[in-house]
Amino acid sequence: MEKIFLINGQEVKVQEFSHKGDSVSFILNGKKHFYMLISKDQEFLILDNGGRFRAAVSSPNRDGDSMIFSNGREALGSAQGKKIKKSGAVSGGLKSPMPGKIFKILKDVGSQVKKGEPILILEAMKMEHSIRSDKDGTIQEIRYKVGELVQGGVTLAEVQE
Amino acid sequence: MKIKKILVANRGEIALRVLKTAKEMGIRVATVYAEDDKNLPHALFADESYSLGSGTLQDTYLNKLKLIETAKKANADAIHPGYGFLSENTEFASMVESAGIIFIGPTPESITLMGDKIGSKKALEKINIPMIPGYHGDNQELSFLCSKAKEIGYPVLIKASAGGGGKGMRIVHQDSELEEAISGAKSEALKAFSNDKVLIEKYVVNPRHIEVQLMSDTHGNHLHFFERECSIQRRYQKIVEETPAPNLTQELRLKICETAVQISSGINYRGAGTVEFILSPDGKFYFLEMNTRLQVEHPVTEMVTGHDLVKYQILVAEGEKLPVKQSDIKQKGQAIECRIYAEDPDQNFMPSIGKIDRIGTPTLRDVRLDCGFLDGTEVGVNYDPMLAKLVVWGETREIAISKSIHSLDEVLFLGVKTNRDYLKRILAHKDFVSGFTHTHFIPDHKTELEPRVHSDQDLADLIAALSFSGTTKVSNGSTEVLKNPWTELIGFRN
Repeated sequence: MEKIFLINGQEVKVQEFSHKGDSVSFILNGKKHFYMLISKDQEFLILDNGGRFRAAVSSPNRDGDSMIFSNGREALGSAQGKKIKKSGAVSGGLKSPMPGKIFKILKDVGSQVKKGEPILILEAMKMEHSIRSDKDGTIQEIRYKVGELVQGGVTLAEVQE
Repeated sequence: MKIKKILVANRGEIALRVLKTAKEMGIRVATVYAEDDKNLPHALFADESYSLGSGTLQDTYLNKLKLIETAKKANADAIHPGYGFLSENTEFASMVESAGIIFIGPTPESITLMGDKIGSKKALEKINIPMIPGYHGDNQELSFLCSKAKEIGYPVLIKASAGGGGKGMRIVHQDSELEEAISGAKSEALKAFSNDKVLIEKYVVNPRHIEVQLMSDTHGNHLHFFERECSIQRRYQKIVEETPAPNLTQELRLKICETAVQISSGINYRGAGTVEFILSPDGKFYFLEMNTRLQVEHPVTEMVTGHDLVKYQILVAEGEKLPVKQSDIKQKGQAIECRIYAEDPDQNFMPSIGKIDRIGTPTLRDVRLDCGFLDGTEVGVNYDPMLAKLVVWGETREIAISKSIHSLDEVLFLGVKTNRDYLKRILAHKDFVSGFTHTHFIPDHKTELEPRVHSDQDLADLIAALSFSGTTKVSNGSTEVLKNPWTELIGFRN
């Protein structure tokens, strides 16, 4: 089975993906990879692919991305199927430019917006930032409530034409 | 007077740092916390802890009256201000002392003197402390300024007196550029600050930031605990510090340290302080400023000299004599501190927030993680984004670097983006390894410090880890926990 992962925003395709019990195998760019899970304690893993190494995976954020650490490398990633199913579009979201707090929500889900129209206001670095629609369309989703803290670079709302 | 209880007027790792030494000395500790910090360890692990309520910093950690009131309520005989916040606030120091509480820090007079950047330079010039050559006077005639610039010697920096943010700033390397640069700086300064006054200073190419740890008691003993090299900075914020400074002759090292002691004895200083110098590649060094508090990076000095600086702060505050002589203080091995920040260095150091699922623990010997967070606590937007300090000692600099790189991998902060990988790139950079550091290191090596592209093997490892993680999404988009890792430790074979 072919499977697509998103690692740091880049699509990575693997073939013949198989996950059975404590083994995972797949082909990446023509090379076969095989891993055994040696131990697991919550987010911490020990894997074996001929040599053992440590890894950890955080619980996913609301964009579905987890922080992954393995063998001293670090990335933000997810299996792509997860995201597509959720919203129908990976890239149509309005993202937070920096971490902050949701200060005000100006529109309801389902309402029509014009390109450039503000949907919500993010308070960050002691300033208010309007998050504006990137197209004419309907608001599909607003992922946070007033007063919630949000990370930088996460999707706040989605608009569909 | 023996101190029986200390109130720490700070938060995070430094509150815990003071707590640790106080406990080793048998002193009780009261801490304070803003309501949004109530789950952090500084609010949990002291003998007593008092809420400062919620609101802005002015309402909580900067609320002088409330802090003094709390100290009285807690029956504390001393206040330790930590670093930042009110640690260099003259008014607070005076208020504490007038309330009959010991301020674990310098006298209000020293704080005032060193807080005045121009006044302190004038005072120190009188005792022959080297200053960056320059002209800061009122005569702004072009021909006069030109003659001053030539007298100082190229390269020179022309800077708006009212300046900041690089506006009205010019670096001049030769005569032919001079007049135009002065006029240009003046007109830019006029536009930006409605004031065209400029000053001229010697421009130091590839300057190093070298500072000296000082400690003085009230019996006339002014000691130094050698230097720290703090040149690796991003946006004027230090991120890697070490001691001893590499590529420094023993002769120059002692000269710098002795000059710093001249300052502490010259102003009859009390307690812990740090004098910062700019060191030019030609071996000349100039006074930059004096910080009248314990520094963030003090642990590297403790690791290499084997002395507890917080303990000496407390002894000095009690009116005791320092229990060591200058000749007892020696540097052994190398220590490096890496400041772990909640930020993304690859996105212009954008701060990051979130819940820390888990914090990794260093496993090597002589490695210390001073951290103000616990598993499950949150990093918000209201405070400085420093999560922890990783301090590593090694017999040699080479060993300290390799131990630091290994330990940075271990101390992950799962759930929050940190600069750990970036710190590893700095430590592994050939110029850092050879000790060729200067304050423009980060901007000068911007491209070389970019993240290494993931190899296919890296990607495969990441994908495997992700695939084994405990949750997956089913087609309706909800999250389903496949297995409970506490009850089902799969494949535990060894």
